[in-house]
Amino acid sequence: MSAVAIIGTGQTRHASRRDDVSQPELVREAAEAALADAGVGPGDLDAVLLANMELFEGRALPELWAGEGAYAAGRPCMKVATGGTSGTSGCIAAFHQVAAGLFDVVLVVGYEKHSEGHAQTGMALTDPFWDRAVASGAVGNFALSVSQYVAERGVTEEQAALVAVKARRNAARNPHAHLQMAGLTVEEVLASRMLADPVRLLDMCPQSDGACAIVVASAEAARRRCRRPAWVLAAETRHEQPYIGDIDRRLVTMRTLRDAARAAYERAGVRRPLADLDVAEIYEPVSYAELAWYEALGLCAEGEAGRLVEGGVTAMDGELPVNPSGGVLSSNPVGASGVIRVAEAALQIHGRGGERQVEGASRALATGYGVYAWADVVVLGAQEAA
Amino acid sequence: MRRADGAAVAVAGVGESGPLACDPRSIPEMVLDAVEAALADASLGYDDVEAVVTASVDLFDGVTASNVAVTEVVGAVMRPETRISGDGICAAIHGACELLAGTCDTVLVVAHGKASMASHLALTEWAMDPVFLQPLGVGFLACAGLQARMLAEEDAGAVGRWADLAAARRADAGSDAIAGPCSVEEVLASPIVASPLRAGMAAPPGDGACAVALTARPPGAQREGRVLLTGAGWDLEPHSLGERDLRRWEGLRRASDRAYAAAGLDPSHPALDLAEPSCLYAHEEELFRAAAGVGEGVTVSPGGGLFAGAAPVASGLSRLADAARRIRAGTARRALAHGTWGPAGQAHAVAVLEADG
Repeated sequence: MSAVAIIGTGQTRHASRRDDVSQPELVREAAEAALADAGVGPGDLDAVLLANMELFEGRALPELWAGEGAYAAGRPCMKVATGGTSGTSGCIAAFHQVAAGLFDVVLVVGYEKHSEGHAQTGMALTDPFWDRAVASGAVGNFALSVSQYVAERGVTEEQAALVAVKARRNAARNPHAHLQMAGLTVEEVLASRMLADPVRLLDMCPQSDGACAIVVASAEAARRRCRRPAWVLAAETRHEQPYIGDIDRRLVTMRTLRDAARAAYERAGVRRPLADLDVAEIYEPVSYAELAWYEALGLCAEGEAGRLVEGGVTAMDGELPVNPSGGVLSSNPVGASGVIRVAEAALQIHGRGGERQVEGASRALATGYGVYAWADVVVLGAQEAA
Repeated sequence: MRRADGAAVAVAGVGESGPLACDPRSIPEMVLDAVEAALADASLGYDDVEAVVTASVDLFDGVTASNVAVTEVVGAVMRPETRISGDGICAAIHGACELLAGTCDTVLVVAHGKASMASHLALTEWAMDPVFLQPLGVGFLACAGLQARMLAEEDAGAVGRWADLAAARRADAGSDAIAGPCSVEEVLASPIVASPLRAGMAAPPGDGACAVALTARPPGAQREGRVLLTGAGWDLEPHSLGERDLRRWEGLRRASDRAYAAAGLDPSHPALDLAEPSCLYAHEEELFRAAAGVGEGVTVSPGGGLFAGAAPVASGLSRLADAARRIRAGTARRALAHGTWGPAGQAHAVAVLEADG
C-alpha cells in the first residue's frame, strides 16, 4: 500500500443520551472537530466514508440522511458496516481509496446514536434458525466465551476487575469519555450486578451516543498539511465463521486477531510488540476480552494476561499503556468505536493527547472487534515507512 | 486507473443467481451459486481469493451485519473482508481500490438482495429523513413519482415516451423475465403507482445475487477478450428533494465526470458504445442519458436492464457483470455500468469498462 497518513481527528462528547443533537448533527460535531484539527476546510475533502450500524437506530442506508453532516453532499460517499469493526474497517477503506490514488483527502466519520434505538434488539437480529435463540446480544455470547477462557487460562475475576478499573480511571483524563468513574475500585466492580455469569455490569461496555472522525491524506498532502502525520504502517482484517458454535474457543485462540496482528506487525516491522509499540487502543467490549486480546496480540505468553494487568504493564505509567482513552469500556457508540480506536492512536502520534498523552509516542496500535470474532488491526507510526 | 506498478484492474469473471420473482432458497444458497459461477468463469478457486468486498443492506435482510450470512460462501473466513452498505457496484469500485492500493492481486466482489422477503418499497421509507419525510409515508417510489411529475408537467410527450421505453425494455428482457413482454397500450392501461408513473413503467423487483472476480493485470500482459475496469466515480446528493433539481441527475453527472476523467476520457464525448444503467422507472433512463452524456449512438440496456428483474443492492453489480459479458463477447468495446440508491437517484456510482488490448 502506498503511503497514507492521518492528519486530523475529532470526536463528540459521548453520553448515554445526546438529546441536544440529531444524527446528522452528531456526525457534524465530530466532522467539524476533525477538519479543524487537520487544518482543512470542507472544500478540501475529496471523498467521505461513513461507518454506522444502521439497525441499532432502526434505519436503512443512513448515509442518505446523515451524510450531509459529514459534508458528503456533492462528494463521493460510501458507508461501511461490519458490526463492531465498522469504524476500523471504515478507516481501512479510506486508507485503500487514498492509496489507490483516487483521492488526496478523505474524511471518515463513525457514529451511533443508541438512545434512538435498542441495541439488544439490533444484536438479536442474527440467524433466525440457529443463533437468535442461544447467543444473541453481547452479554450472552461473551458470557459463553468468557467462561471458556476463564476455565482454560485461569484468569480471575479480580484480574478482570483490574482492567475495568484501569479503563474508567483512564477515562477520567479524557473529556470525551462517556463513563466518568475516576475513583472506581476493584471491590466496586466485584460488587456490581451479575449480568450473565461471570460477566458483571462494570465488566461490560456502556451504550453511548457519539461520533468520531479522522482525516486521511495521501503522502504528499500529509507532508504539506501536517507537522507530524500519523503514518499508516499496516492495516489488516480477518473475518471468521458466522456461527458462534463453529468458532474454535473464541476468546482462547482469537485466531482472527492473532493472525491479523502477526501480518500487521510483519508489515510494520514490529518484532516484539510489548517493547516496540508505545501505546495501544484496543477494542475491548468486556474486561475479560482485553486480557484475551493481550495474548492474541502477542503482548504476553498464553495464560500470562492476568499477571500483565496485575503488574501495571498496561497502565498509563506502564511499559505499554493500553487504552489511555478509557477504551470501549468507557465509551461505546458502536459505529464510532473503531474510529475512536484509530483516532486515539493517531492522536498519540500527533502529540495532541492532552492529559492522556503518552510521552513521545511514535508507534501506536489500534484494533477493531466485530460480530463474534472479526478483527481489524492498524499500526500507526511517526516515521513514514521506508 | 493504474496501480503504481502499472497493473490494471481486470474483470476476470462474473456470476449471477437470478433475478427471480421469488427465489425459494436462502440468501447464502443464492450467493453460493453466484460465487461459484464467477470463480469458475475466472478459472479461480477459493484459495486464490485474497480479499472480499461484499454489499448488502441490513434492514432489507432483517439481519444485523448482514454479510454474516454469507461469510462462508464468499470465502471470507480468516480473510480480509469489508462490506459496503449501498449498491453492489460500490463494492466492485472499492475492490478495485484494494487492487490499486497494492494490498492484493485478486478480490472477490459479491452483492445480494432479496425483495421477496418483505415489502421492499415499505422498507425504503426507513431510509428517509425520520424527522421531516418518513412521517409522511414517503419512500423511494413516492419520490420517483414526484420526480416524474415534475418532468411530465413541462413535457406533454413524456409519459407516452416512458410507456414506449418501458415496453421496449420489457421486450428486450425477453419472455423468460419476471414480468415478460407487454405492449405500450398495456403499460398505459396499467394502474398508476405514483402519478404519473404506472405499474408497467417500473422494473419488477426480484431476488438475486451477483459476484465478480477482479484481478490485477500486469503491464504488458494485454489479452484479447479480457475486460478492464478503467474508471470509477460516485456521488451523494443532498437528501431533501427540495434541495435538488429533480429534473436532473446532477449527482450522476459528477460521478460519471469523475469516472471518465479516471479512464482518460473526455466527459463531453466519452466514446462509449454501451451503457448499462440501473433504471427502476422508465423516466430514469432519460435522466441517465442526459447526466452521463450517453448519446443516441450508444446501445442502452440491450438485455432490458433492470426491467428483466431488479434485485435490491445486487442491481448495480449485475449491470457491471452484463456490460463485462458483452465486451467479452465482442459486441461492445467500452461501456458505462451504473448503480444508484436512495430517493429519486440521491446516490450514484459508475464504472467504465473497456476491452483489453
